[in-house]
Amino acid sequence: MTYRKLLMVGSGVALAVMAAACNSDKLTNLNTNPNSPEDVPPGPLFTNAARVAASRWLGTTYSLRQTEWLSQHLSEVQYNDEDRYLRLHAGDTEGSFNGAYSAELKDFTQIIAKGVASGSPGTYAPAAIMRTWEFGYLTDTWGDIPYFTALKGDSIGGSLSPVYDAQKAIYTDFFAVLDKAAKDLAGATATNTLGTADPVYAGNLLRWQRFANSIRARQALRLINVDPTTANAQLTAAFNAPGGVFQSNTDNAIFKFPGDGVYDNPWSVNFKTRDDHRMSLTIMNILQGNNDPRLPIFAQPTPADPTKYAGSPNGISPARAAAANYVLNASRPGAIFYSGKTAYGTFGGSGNTYPSYMMTYAEVAFIQAEAAERGLGGLTPGQAAGFYNAAILASMAQWGVSTANANAFLAQPSIAYAGGTPGLVQIGQQKWLALFTDGGQAWAEWRRTCQPATIKPGVDASASNVPRRFEYPVLEYTVNEANVSATKTSHVCTGTRVRLLLLRTLRDAGSDNTKLLWVRKAPRKFSRGAFFC
Amino acid sequence: MQYRSRFSRLAIAAFLLAGLSPAVAAAQQGTTLSGRVTSATNGQPVVGAFVGITDLRAGAQTDAEGRYNFTIPATSAHGQTAFLTARRLGFQPSTVQVTLSGTGVITDFRLPAVAAALDEVVVTALGIERKKSVLGTAQQQISSTDLNQTSSMNVINQLQGKVSGVKITGSGTQGGSNRIVLRGENSINGNNSPVFIVDGVAISNRARVGDPAGGYDFGSAISDINPDDIESVSILKGPNAAALYGSRAANGVIILTTKKGGSTNSRMRMEANTSYTWETPSILPDYQNQYGQGAGGSFKYVDGQGSGDCDGCDQSYGPKLDGRLIDQFTGKQQPWIAHPDNVKDFFATGHSLNTTVAMSGGTDRANARVSIGADNIDGYVPNNTFHKTNGLLNASLKLNSRLSSDANLQYVRNVGANRPGVGYTNGIMEQFVWFGRQVDMEALRAYAGKNGSANNGPASREFNWNYNYHNNPFWLQQDNPVQDARDRFIGRVALNYKLSDGINAQVSSGSDIYRFGIDQRWAQGQITGSGIDQKYFGGFRNINDYSNENNTNAVVTLAKPLGSHLVLNATGGGGIRREFFNTTTTSTTGLTVPNIYNVSNAAVTPSLAQTLQRRQVNSTYGSADLTLGDWFNVGGTARNDWSSTLPSGLNSYFYPSGFASVVLTNLMQSMKGKLGISYAKLRASTAQVGNDADPYQLRTTYSGLSTKYFALAQFTLGDALANAELKPEITHSNEIGAELAFFEGRVTVDASGYWKYTKNQIFNAPVSTASGFTAKSVNAGKITNNGFEALVGLIPIQTESGLTWNSTVNFSRNTSKVTELAPGVSTLLLGSLWNGRIEARLNQPYGAIYGKGFQHDATTGELLLSGGVPMPTATPTVFFGTIQPDWTGGWANTISFKNVSVYALLDTRRGGKLYSVTNMFGDNTGVLSRTLYGREQDWDKPGVVIKGKDVDTGQENTISVTSEQYFQSIYPSIEPYVYDASYTKLREVRVAFDLPSRFSNRLNFSAITMAITGRNLVTWTSVPNIDPEFSYTTGNYQGIEFAALPNPRSWGLSFRITP
Repeated sequence: MTYRKLLMVGSGVALAVMAAACNSDKLTNLNTNPNSPEDVPPGPLFTNAARVAASRWLGTTYSLRQTEWLSQHLSEVQYNDEDRYLRLHAGDTEGSFNGAYSAELKDFTQIIAKGVASGSPGTYAPAAIMRTWEFGYLTDTWGDIPYFTALKGDSIGGSLSPVYDAQKAIYTDFFAVLDKAAKDLAGATATNTLGTADPVYAGNLLRWQRFANSIRARQALRLINVDPTTANAQLTAAFNAPGGVFQSNTDNAIFKFPGDGVYDNPWSVNFKTRDDHRMSLTIMNILQGNNDPRLPIFAQPTPADPTKYAGSPNGISPARAAAANYVLNASRPGAIFYSGKTAYGTFGGSGNTYPSYMMTYAEVAFIQAEAAERGLGGLTPGQAAGFYNAAILASMAQWGVSTANANAFLAQPSIAYAGGTPGLVQIGQQKWLALFTDGGQAWAEWRRTCQPATIKPGVDASASNVPRRFEYPVLEYTVNEANVSATKTSHVCTGTRVRLLLLRTLRDAGSDNTKLLWVRKAPRKFSRGAFFC
Repeated sequence: MQYRSRFSRLAIAAFLLAGLSPAVAAAQQGTTLSGRVTSATNGQPVVGAFVGITDLRAGAQTDAEGRYNFTIPATSAHGQTAFLTARRLGFQPSTVQVTLSGTGVITDFRLPAVAAALDEVVVTALGIERKKSVLGTAQQQISSTDLNQTSSMNVINQLQGKVSGVKITGSGTQGGSNRIVLRGENSINGNNSPVFIVDGVAISNRARVGDPAGGYDFGSAISDINPDDIESVSILKGPNAAALYGSRAANGVIILTTKKGGSTNSRMRMEANTSYTWETPSILPDYQNQYGQGAGGSFKYVDGQGSGDCDGCDQSYGPKLDGRLIDQFTGKQQPWIAHPDNVKDFFATGHSLNTTVAMSGGTDRANARVSIGADNIDGYVPNNTFHKTNGLLNASLKLNSRLSSDANLQYVRNVGANRPGVGYTNGIMEQFVWFGRQVDMEALRAYAGKNGSANNGPASREFNWNYNYHNNPFWLQQDNPVQDARDRFIGRVALNYKLSDGINAQVSSGSDIYRFGIDQRWAQGQITGSGIDQKYFGGFRNINDYSNENNTNAVVTLAKPLGSHLVLNATGGGGIRREFFNTTTTSTTGLTVPNIYNVSNAAVTPSLAQTLQRRQVNSTYGSADLTLGDWFNVGGTARNDWSSTLPSGLNSYFYPSGFASVVLTNLMQSMKGKLGISYAKLRASTAQVGNDADPYQLRTTYSGLSTKYFALAQFTLGDALANAELKPEITHSNEIGAELAFFEGRVTVDASGYWKYTKNQIFNAPVSTASGFTAKSVNAGKITNNGFEALVGLIPIQTESGLTWNSTVNFSRNTSKVTELAPGVSTLLLGSLWNGRIEARLNQPYGAIYGKGFQHDATTGELLLSGGVPMPTATPTVFFGTIQPDWTGGWANTISFKNVSVYALLDTRRGGKLYSVTNMFGDNTGVLSRTLYGREQDWDKPGVVIKGKDVDTGQENTISVTSEQYFQSIYPSIEPYVYDASYTKLREVRVAFDLPSRFSNRLNFSAITMAITGRNLVTWTSVPNIDPEFSYTTGNYQGIEFAALPNPRSWGLSFRITP
């Protein structure tokens, strides 16, 4: 009897197993992800993407530990491999490229799709503007990059190995995208904005229009040496687009940090544990040479002497840095970037809430000044001085300098606008100063203008030129080899002379300046100023 | 026609063999021969030995107590003498002359053991015990005695050097995870660890680990098992042996069988084992002691954060340690002298006390064994302790003649405290790579009661030698408590019902359930990778894991003779496996009030994370094999799985296996003795194993962030593109093997060759990030592993006086190759650190090392130099070799004489490469002794002129550089720091002494043994400064070392009571 019972139990179990096995749906329902949703509204996507984008291009890697050294705002006084260009190869710089595409650019693309689907310019236009702002850094750093077929990995037929598009075509599209964004926003209503989920302008669409037009002016001016016709046309269009460009510091595209210990200004986060940044000798010479009132804001007195400010040269060996004791004898970046206690002492206080300036009115006014001096964008040389003064005053105000001090600074003979080629040099230098903290733009402007001319590789640098671009990511050569190699060959000439150039390129840590469209000597006839290295 | 003649010979052989069986030999009256066969080594009964008179084809096998009994009919022989032989494989046969006179003859045998047992009873899949001689697949079984020659925290450590076909890497950190791989890595990006089965329960070996870049290694869950409770470890090496365990067995199976009770006529048996060991780091770097902290030859301390001269830096290119007076962190104008042992002095001597006491007993209806084990360990890193308490109950009850039940329950509590951090950001060894060689470790040890203000440092910091980059190492270990604890139950109940003779049904259910908690507290001032905000009073991280895996099975087994020579063994059944894993993490980088490590006290918005995973696999499976006589066995297995993780409708997959084996010496008795052969078996098998995906791989999802940006929610789309059409991945394996014994078992060989590959692998193939995604989940890629492994047993010496030298050699060679990756993908990064990359690259062995090298002249191969230093290549695409060893092996030797035995185990790994970042940075910072060469550029030591071509002049380089300039210029190149990873270790040593039996017998024990043991006593390697055996993780990122803690060298005493 027990036998029979057990046999029944046994068969029962076996049947149950078979039944469960065959009920495929019930089984696979277990595989619905309980941790993450398959769709989300655009707001939280935008908040995150904007934060990550601002932290990427104005944060610790691309800005603080790469381009701020290349543009010689800052220098490195301990283990200064980056500053000697030793650690500026693909493996060191590819994170910004890979991260931008796979994180926030992808999310901006999702938001645009959602916004277009729901017919909300207030949703898709800010995402398109942020996307273009970011692509500007990408193409100006790497040259030709995947653009038109990029960011489509999740769409049907979308490429997982996008082609590299010519920088010229990318620039052309920038202008089209920004043009459309500004125009679509003009017709948008306040009801379909991102609202508070927009951490940059809190859904203020006029400000977004101005940001779009300002970015358009930035990228247009960059073409001035190679394609002055387009530069002129796009500057004109930017200045006259709906909403216009930035008109005061209140228009600044600022990314704020709550400073809650989770979302702090990235520089302050770095300075909490690292004390290897000092002011570059290059910037300190210029600040001190002109009694610049921003000096005590950009910099702190030297640790050795509280009455003294000093810079440390870029690209020197650790032994040389130690011998001169620049740790002690050069100025740390300003106390405003420090959030109180660090691992090595207490400096400043509220650096964790210091915002990242994504684009400022000062830069826009400098763009207008240069356009005016060159007679572009519908402006005339006579307007240059006004824009120049406005730009400097805006920068001073942005950094907290009093109007009196700012005016005194402007009144100095070396600063008062000189016009002509000397005026262009002044614009270049002052713009480079105003771009402090935005290493990427400062480096780009130096590559275009060669201002300040005192930017030279350090004596112990591993290359004899300041690098002009970054190398493509290592990963691209393994998963997208055909496309990345195609772009390389389109820029490399053949012939015996170039062999030598190639050799130098290998040595010069990615300083191949032939690969960027706009870093090139322009034909003389287009040039109003002596602006080339 | 040849077939027929061979068959008839087989039939005759079968007949002859059958004639030897006791059933046939039993006859009328005559001479009864009886007696007992025991082992000469330990006096234990020898079960299953054959005792007989070959000429008369009569004999019997010994029973459980070693007794035999058979009768020679009077008609066969009377009054004559005959030779009575006792033989059993694994023992040396013994023969005596007897007279068959009609009266009973009692003869006892004491058989000396020989090299290795080839026909012992082993535990196979589903816990079924079979004679090894009928198996068609490679399997090695390690006995409790061999396993526990020395004591170690982790049972995997105790397998090191003892098993062929297995690669084991001891942890690079105290109490950390260790990695075990059988026959090479199958999976490109997934799990390559075998599945562990304890008494029929699949148990988790989940690990929480760091990597060379940083983190904490909280060990792997297999370390919960008490080695002293283990009766045997069966290693089923290939998927061939494992098809019945399902998907996870594609990487092999390790079956741990615990000790059980037995019938003792209601008397209690007790066993006890206790050992005490002392541990020290086995290898520390070879430091220089001529130059102290500083750069360019200068140093002066002011505040340890840069106000002095290089007092905020942490390299040792400072002034010569000649006793001059220099301001130091210990005070002004202190003598500048070397502290050669400062690193060594940081470490303590570790102590371990391991004790297990077990009691067992029973009747023929019920028996049980209960054991309690406790490990108390102080690691060699200060304040690092481990406590493990382990209880195991095994019980078996015969309810009636048909129904019986087995149950076991194991409870483990495993507690670690203050495990040292690992790798670049957290490693306790890290600051000895970036170090001032003059630092007085005793001054750091005496940090209590002082803070940074004692030497002008920040008042919120602990007293230290450097405030920029380091914490006081003692303070890290004392004032930043890290507690981890795992509470675990492993249990199983099985109900067996005998349906009829030879047919049994079993229903069983077993679970492995644990909670694992990590409570990590960082004090204010902690700067090593914790992200602690110095404004507040420290922070914490709290991790809670809950894991539950249940396997429920119903099987029917059948063992039935079919006619007189055939036996059918079959198993059929079904099962359900359910996995549940849940983890939550709470952390904050700032506390409002000191010392309250509670989320309510967070000054910085706490970060919360939560993950839940479920999986269910339903299966039906069966196996059958047919044994002909005692010489031929053929069989197969089949299994079908339905997994929850694959797409609906596509989630069913079937996989079969088949094998055959033949014992040649039983087939052709005449073979025996020729060429010294006493046993020969050949086997062959083929198998396939399917595997499902990890949960939630089918749809791309958005991940949310628990922290809010100004109260705003944040989401981002996942980086890896999911794949809604995943198929199961498939492993194929073919295997052949031979098991041979020579000279009556004094030489045994168990060798296998295998060819296997895994295709359709489910992995995240990297894609161009420009697509918006970093990877796409695909079914692609193929890894092949071909190999050869052998286990050779030898008894070179065995004398009448009792002197025996028993030697076991194992050898494994595996050739791995990545033969396919996803379309368009030529390489997959497994891990990278400081320009060194471990890759799965097409047509290379799995785990190829790539990185930056030096530039060489394209035609002459000369090193290209610029300014006297070599130039690193721009891209990390130089191939430096593979992390796969050419071969691995072990050599165990036991020499015993009467009651003394000496045992030593050598464990070796030959070939393969590693990249040592410790060596790279040790040069960069000038702490290693080899940086002394070319230190100063003066007449005495004129720097270094590197041989090579100057790239500017095109001529031979003449520029002299100091070692400081040299090492700080070359560093992006890993070329000088990739080493041949070969090593040989004196892994285990044991000198044991059995108390004379008159003592032990008086106390009712069969033996009382005292021993001196040692582990990792000597390492022979050409890798400088580090222990070449290191691992940070049980995962696939191996081969890059940084600041790895060396495996401990230990000495111990042990005391064992055998019932």
